[in-house]
Amino acid sequence: MTGPTRDDRGITRPRLGDPVALSTSNAAMTEHVSAVPFRSQPFARYWLAVAPFGALTAVLLGSILYLFYAGVGIWGIDWPVVWGFALINYVWWIAIASGGTFISALFYLTRSEWRNAINRIAETMTLFGAVCAGIYPILHLGRPWFFYWLFPYPNTMDLYPQFRSPLLWDFFAILTYVISSVLFWYFGLLPDLATMRDRATKRGWQIFYGALALGFRGSSTQWRHYHVTYGVLAAIMAPLVCSVHSIVGLDFAGAATPGWHSTQFPPFFIFGAFLSGFATVLLLVIALRRLLRLQDWMTGRHFDALCKLLLTSSLFVGYAYTMDGFSIFYGGEKAEIVNYTDRLFGYYAPIYWGAVLFNVIVPQLLWIRTIRVNQVLVTLISLGVIVGMWFERYTIVVGSLHRPHLPSAWGLYHGSLWDWLTLMGTVGLFVFGILLAIRIVPAMSMFEMRDTLEQQR
Amino acid sequence: MPSLKQWRGLDALARDPAFVARAEAEFPMLAKAMAAPTDRRGVLRLMAAGLALAGLTGCDAGAQDGILMPPVRPASGTVGTSGLFATAHMAQGYAEGVLLRHAAGRPIKVEGNTLHPASLGATDAIAQAEILGFYDPDRDITLRRGRTAQSWQDLVTALAAQRARAEQDRGAGLRLLTGRITSPTLARQIAELRAAYPEMRWHQWEPVTRDAVRAGALLAYGQPVQVQPRLDVADVIVAFDGDLLGSAPGHLRFARDFASRRNPTRTDRMSRVYAVEPAPTPMGLVADHRLIAGPRDLARFVPMLAGAVLRDETASDAPPWLAAMAADLKGARGRAFVHAGPELPAEAHALVHAMNEALGGRGATYRLTDPAEAEPVALADSLAALMADMQAGRVHTLIVLDSNPAYTAPGFADALTRVAFSLTMAMAPTETAGLTHWSVPQRHGFEDWSDGRAFDGTATILQPQAQPLYDAISPHTLLSLLRGPAPVGSRDAVRATWAAAWGESLDTRWHDSLAAGLVDDTAVPVSDVRLRDAAAQAIPPVPDGDTALLLRPDPHVWDGRWANNAWLQELPRATTKLVWDNPLLLSPAGARALGVRNGERVEVRRGDAHVVLPAWVVPGQAPDTVIATLGYGRRDVGEVGRDVGWNVYPLTGGGPVSLRKAEGHDALASTEHHDPIFCDAGEYVRHTDLAAFEADPHVLGHEPPLDSLYRTHPPGPAAWGMSVDLNACIGCNACVVACMAENNVPVVGKAQVLHQREMHWLRIDRYYEGAPDDPDIFLQPMLCQHCEQAPCEVVCPVEATLHDSEGLNVMVYNRCIGTRFCSNNCPYKVRRFNYFPYAQDEHRTALARNPEVTVRARGVMEKCTFCLQRIAAARIVADIENRPVGAEEVVTACQAACPTRVFSFGNMAEGGAVVEHKKSPLSYALLAEQNTHPRLTYEGVVRNRNKDVGA
Repeated sequence: MTGPTRDDRGITRPRLGDPVALSTSNAAMTEHVSAVPFRSQPFARYWLAVAPFGALTAVLLGSILYLFYAGVGIWGIDWPVVWGFALINYVWWIAIASGGTFISALFYLTRSEWRNAINRIAETMTLFGAVCAGIYPILHLGRPWFFYWLFPYPNTMDLYPQFRSPLLWDFFAILTYVISSVLFWYFGLLPDLATMRDRATKRGWQIFYGALALGFRGSSTQWRHYHVTYGVLAAIMAPLVCSVHSIVGLDFAGAATPGWHSTQFPPFFIFGAFLSGFATVLLLVIALRRLLRLQDWMTGRHFDALCKLLLTSSLFVGYAYTMDGFSIFYGGEKAEIVNYTDRLFGYYAPIYWGAVLFNVIVPQLLWIRTIRVNQVLVTLISLGVIVGMWFERYTIVVGSLHRPHLPSAWGLYHGSLWDWLTLMGTVGLFVFGILLAIRIVPAMSMFEMRDTLEQQR
Repeated sequence: MPSLKQWRGLDALARDPAFVARAEAEFPMLAKAMAAPTDRRGVLRLMAAGLALAGLTGCDAGAQDGILMPPVRPASGTVGTSGLFATAHMAQGYAEGVLLRHAAGRPIKVEGNTLHPASLGATDAIAQAEILGFYDPDRDITLRRGRTAQSWQDLVTALAAQRARAEQDRGAGLRLLTGRITSPTLARQIAELRAAYPEMRWHQWEPVTRDAVRAGALLAYGQPVQVQPRLDVADVIVAFDGDLLGSAPGHLRFARDFASRRNPTRTDRMSRVYAVEPAPTPMGLVADHRLIAGPRDLARFVPMLAGAVLRDETASDAPPWLAAMAADLKGARGRAFVHAGPELPAEAHALVHAMNEALGGRGATYRLTDPAEAEPVALADSLAALMADMQAGRVHTLIVLDSNPAYTAPGFADALTRVAFSLTMAMAPTETAGLTHWSVPQRHGFEDWSDGRAFDGTATILQPQAQPLYDAISPHTLLSLLRGPAPVGSRDAVRATWAAAWGESLDTRWHDSLAAGLVDDTAVPVSDVRLRDAAAQAIPPVPDGDTALLLRPDPHVWDGRWANNAWLQELPRATTKLVWDNPLLLSPAGARALGVRNGERVEVRRGDAHVVLPAWVVPGQAPDTVIATLGYGRRDVGEVGRDVGWNVYPLTGGGPVSLRKAEGHDALASTEHHDPIFCDAGEYVRHTDLAAFEADPHVLGHEPPLDSLYRTHPPGPAAWGMSVDLNACIGCNACVVACMAENNVPVVGKAQVLHQREMHWLRIDRYYEGAPDDPDIFLQPMLCQHCEQAPCEVVCPVEATLHDSEGLNVMVYNRCIGTRFCSNNCPYKVRRFNYFPYAQDEHRTALARNPEVTVRARGVMEKCTFCLQRIAAARIVADIENRPVGAEEVVTACQAACPTRVFSFGNMAEGGAVVEHKKSPLSYALLAEQNTHPRLTYEGVVRNRNKDVGA
């Protein structure tokens, strides 16, 4: 195995043969990672990174306020395309969120030690991805102030929600997923929060982290309990990430609408979720390892593994696209065929082919080993996947709705300025949230990395 | 003349003893408050409430001599205690009998009057929308001289001066310009004016003149007789660019008669209809053969057919179908009818008269009668004479009543500057009222006494349905002020007219006439005039020039007089589905030749005038014909109609027509967004021809219902269902407006229609089949199908839409949170969403709405309810009487308005027409493969094609 190479500025370039972490001492790693929250290493680049996304978050806030004031009519939705950006973005974000859970929970269960370096970033991504996703269903409502009517609470009118509606399943699935993700993320933080408490020198930080650490002191009993609980949580989270995307798929498949009424939607949505999840994790890892100088612990091994996962899920998605066409022509329903043909050759065809290009064709480059560690190409491919997945959702939502059964109801849809501002705003919120989080909590799971480094030695 | 009194403020009015007395009688609590003069604030508060009520609740029974209920209630299932009161809607000068439904003390809905010959219970779109016109806030125009508001006393003084002047010159400089007049009272008042001022002249003007019809009658009979077709008797109908089902006086009756012979499951002998026309008309849309012919072809084809029918001639250049058509006509002697539209030349009308006489139709398929107008004149000549006199300075006083020549007649505004005293009486702002010296607000027909005649002469006395909403006077009062110093109230004027006819029995007959909505035995007599021999020899002039420009009234805003009615503006035109605009209508070939597509601008030149209009391609329009629509581009009009579309009246002058592509593009709002030619033959509108139907009545399919996992039949005591007969739909849109009026359906405006957010609960889908140059056109009213297995219901997470036990798919607005999933899952896409607070943003007062129907808020989904409020009212009555709701006790708004009885609706548990119609072999459920079990089914189209006519 060749050793790591460093360029002039001491930055490590990822190489295919890299181990999960380059040999550094536990103490150096802990020192480096915990320094960020304690601001012992001030760096201007951080604020440069935060400012634009903070501004975008303000745009989101403004868009939401205006939306509540003026109504969903400010968006591009019309008749027959009554669902637009809100649903597209919702599905897109919830899919992005999936990557973190998948890496953190599933690979924990399979004891893939490489996850330890990136699971904190992945989980934080899940958290804010889920937050961005979670606000859209409420913004989407015509009368958002009544969103709680979805909840089966006892009331004087004896009214309960419609349990047959996929939107209700969705409400519960999202709620469960968001709560579980928060718990999983927080629980995974406990030992690190204890470390931070112990390392804090100022009284305020000691109290802050002390309270958050919930009295975790690292006794062997605590560790035993901790590992058992974390294992159980992981075992819950792994199927949950599948169920939430299945149910998001059922939001569409549960309807009799042409283009949606398909039994393959639940797995199809899981494939898509993984694809966009891995792409986003890659993007964040590439960016944050530079920003926070984590190159010694996020190495070529991670690029290799994540790119292989990306490639695999891309093949799954390609399979789903093919089967979509097959089942529609095999089923032979006229409205479905018209709808599908229009998807391929109609007004929105460029968006569909864009999705195919970015989600299926371009990721095939990752078969080539050197490309998997080429940071520029991986960034571009991952960005392409993120955009491609948004295209895919656009095709599913808008492309299907604009060609309903009766031609008299055919129409078109275009997002309005407010649609775009809200979308950009959630991108802002997502990055802004992650950047804020890594100034408070360690960006890397220190206690798990200590195990990894231990094993390597 | 109490209504002429002006008041400056509530305080001043409160000191008026007459007012206080009246207010005390009506509002006893007010008298109590008045008794305590210290509480001035309290008095004013009560006063304000009282004034609001006095103005708006209407029906001041004492003062108005009662609004009378008709002896026969035409529509059952009306809401609660609300009553129906007869009056008439005036269109092109002719009366169309209507009943106004009152609720909460005010008129809220127009219904047809079953007793009235021009209604038979139906209404047209314009009459339906007239209730919105009645409540139009823009009607609030004050009496003005120039730009200055005047008191009524000023008007009385000014008219006194004009009277003096007219007496000096025996009325030589006094001119009266009106629209077409059938009103016996107006006619009497004008006759009296003429007696007083022998040299006074009365001019009539309508932009849509029908002068050719009159001239044709003069050519054929020497008298302006009129034809009253009986389409229920005719086996073979040939219409040359006919307007019988669309806008001809009496069109509702003709449509009813026509439709009675169009469904082969309900008539022994289906009629056969040929429509020869340059652009799709209502008749053409349902014709068995729609044959495309521009104005030049029409001028050739009519004499060819006349030659074949009258003289067995065969023209060498005749189209292939002509011989078959002539044979069909001759084979149906005594049961054939030929009709020519008002835009055909007089000679063509004469030939048609000759053909009809030769085919033995007179007295059988039509009646020839005297005209119903008070004084039938050629309107274009009448106006031309007036304008010539105005230009020559021979007019010193011009009174304009119910006419808007400054907008509709180029050159009038210029001539008007030479008149010393001009006065316009108008209900709302008009261009003419803006130019004349005086502008006098006129009472709306629904708040005034008057009378009018239907197409067949039957008179109706119009009775006020409410106290006048705004400070205005009656035209009868205005005319009385021209005659003498004492103003005459409209009621007295109308009574005086009928007193002369009725003598002793005035009171009884007055009462009966008001109650029934018509005066018995007032129809014009059948004429026994003989056809002139010359009629058969008439030769219509063939227009020259490559391109024929037709100027047609808009089917809904007509000549522009209803331009301020938002319901009519936002009513999708039958085939183009355009709203809020009047582009130049081009044939596909014409558009190709010019190189324009929908929305691209075209410059139209005729003589000296030119107008730039966006283009719109109409499949099935004659290649050499372009159509510009009148009634748009009004400048001096209320808020709704201002600057909507383009004024094409400047093109009404003569001269050669030329078209040129111009720069630019306009966004045009059409509610059909799909490409014109798409679906498989008969996929949505199933159709066949009569021969195939007779060979196998089930040719249109009658699929057995699919299996379902769930219980399919709601268990309730009633089962509401509807059947829609596609054979009868002529696309007149009366049902669409009726639905808007009944259900408070909001108007959204052009920008929102462009954004595909129109709100109509009931829309009429249009499908083309075949080549764009000559397609078959089918119409399909589309409303909530009330599926027993409704896909919308299961996807709503809050159960805001669900099924009731009687099979209705109900929508709980209060519960709706606006996920819009129901709309996605509706295969028929009949659900509409309030993206903005459309109802709140409407240019309309709250009082104008139907109080029985919830006004929907922003963020809520809505859709057709089968007029649930009417069902509920009937259910209450039935519950009280402890019986089930009768089969046909409930009539939905669309059903009531429809002139051709497309809709049948009822409680299927009790049998009735809807059950019968659903058993028809033509009956089918749309998208049956979706297994939604709709409670609404369609009856497919059967066309009685002549196998000898190609294509």
